[in-house]
Amino acid sequence: MVPDVNAPIQIKEGKLIQDADRMILNAYDASAVEEALVLKEKHGGEVEVVSVGAAKASETIRKALAMGADKATHITTSGDELFDSGSYARILAAFFSDKEFDILSLGKQSQDTDSGLTGSMVAELLNLPYTTNAVGLEIEDGKLIVKRQGDTGQEMIELPTPCAVTCSNDMNEPRIPNLKGIMASKRKPVEQIEIDDLSMDDSALEANTQVVSYEEKPAREAGKKFEGEADEIAREVAQLLDTEANVL
Amino acid sequence: MSTLLTHIAISDGKIKRSSLEVLSHCKQLADQNGHTVEAVIVAPEASSFTDEVQKYGASKVYTVEDPIFKNHMNTPVLKALAKVMEQANPYVFAFASTEGTKDIMGALAANQQAAVLPDVSAFKFTDDGIQAKRPVMAAKIMANTEAKGDTILVSVRSGSYDLNESPTEAEVVNIDFSMDEGELKATLREIISASGDTIDLNEAEAIVAAGRGVKDEEGQKLISELAEILNAGIGASRALTEAGVYDPSLQIGQTGKVVSPQLYIAVGISGAIQHVAGMANSKVIVAVNKDADAPIFDVADYGIVGDLYKVLPPFIEEIKKIKG
Ligand SMILES: Cc1cc2nc3c(=O)[nH]c(=O)nc-3n(C[C@H](O)[C@H](O)[C@H](O)COP(=O)(O)OP(=O)(O)OC[C@H]3O[C@@H](n4cnc5c(N)ncnc54)[C@H](O)[C@@H]3O)c2cc1C
Ligand SMILES: Nc1ncnc2c1ncn2[C@@H]1O[C@H](COP(=O)(O)O)[C@@H](O)[C@H]1O
Repeated sequence: MVPDVNAPIQIKEGKLIQDADRMILNAYDASAVEEALVLKEKHGGEVEVVSVGAAKASETIRKALAMGADKATHITTSGDELFDSGSYARILAAFFSDKEFDILSLGKQSQDTDSGLTGSMVAELLNLPYTTNAVGLEIEDGKLIVKRQGDTGQEMIELPTPCAVTCSNDMNEPRIPNLKGIMASKRKPVEQIEIDDLSMDDSALEANTQVVSYEEKPAREAGKKFEGEADEIAREVAQLLDTEANVL
Repeated sequence: MSTLLTHIAISDGKIKRSSLEVLSHCKQLADQNGHTVEAVIVAPEASSFTDEVQKYGASKVYTVEDPIFKNHMNTPVLKALAKVMEQANPYVFAFASTEGTKDIMGALAANQQAAVLPDVSAFKFTDDGIQAKRPVMAAKIMANTEAKGDTILVSVRSGSYDLNESPTEAEVVNIDFSMDEGELKATLREIISASGDTIDLNEAEAIVAAGRGVKDEEGQKLISELAEILNAGIGASRALTEAGVYDPSLQIGQTGKVVSPQLYIAVGISGAIQHVAGMANSKVIVAVNKDADAPIFDVADYGIVGDLYKVLPPFIEEIKKIKG
């Protein structure tokens, strides 16, 4: 669950003021859910979603169930905690430590913070083989084959199960839940548990990073706009890039 | 006195400029705060890069050499870096924010119980940690973020700092490394589409980026021609990487790459916030779009309102003339 980056945002005295109703399913997580559903359609199995968050997170969990996930666990928080990716990763690792699964699939980053840490943290904490920034997933002979977007090209990586992977939204176009899916989601099991139910030290929840304030990014000033005869304005801008901007 | 360790990324047999940017910044911070700056190179021929690293002021350079580092794989890289960290005991370990870095930051932080600030655009010391600026909300807003702890990892966006030479005589420390097949948890089956000799967008001086407005081969040809005369890298919006027109490595934006060239020419790109997130730090932005209200014009220094098929041919011709 992340705030919608397209919703109006204000900054007041260094704090972010956002419309609490504009929380959405993280785009990268939507892609992770979509890909899990596709793999299930091809190979069978079950898709379970897990979210750590305040009461509001139940809506995004519903969305994943309406897309077709089979069941969900909601690890509830008050929403006032100052958790960072490390805290969430330790909570998720504590939850998964005694669970059986083949593939743990996460988003490559949160759309609001772009942290991109949780996936490989959870993998390390659970000692799982992993890869990040997947743009394609296949299952072959019980192995997960990941097409990963690297710096310059793509890599095909083979992971034994159980393993973890983080998904790019370049992987697929997440399905929009239809009415049938939405109706069905209401009958699907959502287990609610509290962080206290997980055997964790309080110190493991503590964030060692913290946002101290937010500020407007100095906006780029819009420059000159050239309208008119294509031939003329094209040549004029080319000249200015040379004489004024000095970038040619 | 603490140690600032800088990771030196090697790509295509060269040191990535963004790593030297980070090293330059670390050197400056170290000098201001009475710390030492050291560097680590993990590569098949790591020791061949130590001379260049010395130029930027590292007093010690750790090298980890093994053929296994030819292609990025997270297991061996993590093992190597953990080993170096145990020896160097850095207070801050700084990286250039590449896909390779993003692949391991979280795991390394968890492994070393370190605090971690990924993808920052600036960082400095505070009394008891470091403070960094991180663009958030699709880079619409800046978050001032603090990290505390005995060890702090940080990765820095390319183009955040200038290169600054500060030659020293560095001690080179080679770290023993070996890895059994059995330890490798994942297997690299193949490299699919290394963009090969195309220009690394993170380091490009100029980029010509194509969007959905570039509809056909004729349009792509114009893009290539323009890129060629400018010696520019070609980038693309998600619309065109998704459609398979351009390689996904060329995508610029929130999901794709964050770039900071001297010149960025956006052609047929509307300027969605997720695209702008990746290019707003370019020095000079030119936009070509037939819609005078396209949001890309809000960030463009030079906005050409017009049909790209009519604008680009005379634009290319004029640049050719200027370049003589
Ligand atoms: C989580 C998330 C991450 C994303 N990450 C990225 C990312 O990394 N990079 C990215 O690019 N997008 C990203 N997107 C997608 C982004 O929101 C936009 O959908 C995308 O950038 C649109 O691409 P475009 O500008 O090429 O296409 P469009 O928005 O369709 O714009 C095409 C433009 O071309 C103009 N045009 C058409 N014909 C001509 C012509 N003949 N001459 C001149 N102009 C013409 C039109 O006026 C229009 O402005 C992301 C979205 C999400 C949700
Ligand atoms: N509170 C959470 N609950 C469930 N998954 C999470 C949570 N926080 C992060 N994740 C997962 O980790 C990914 C990366 O998160 P981040 O490190 O915040 O960028 C997200 O896309 C999610 O898949």
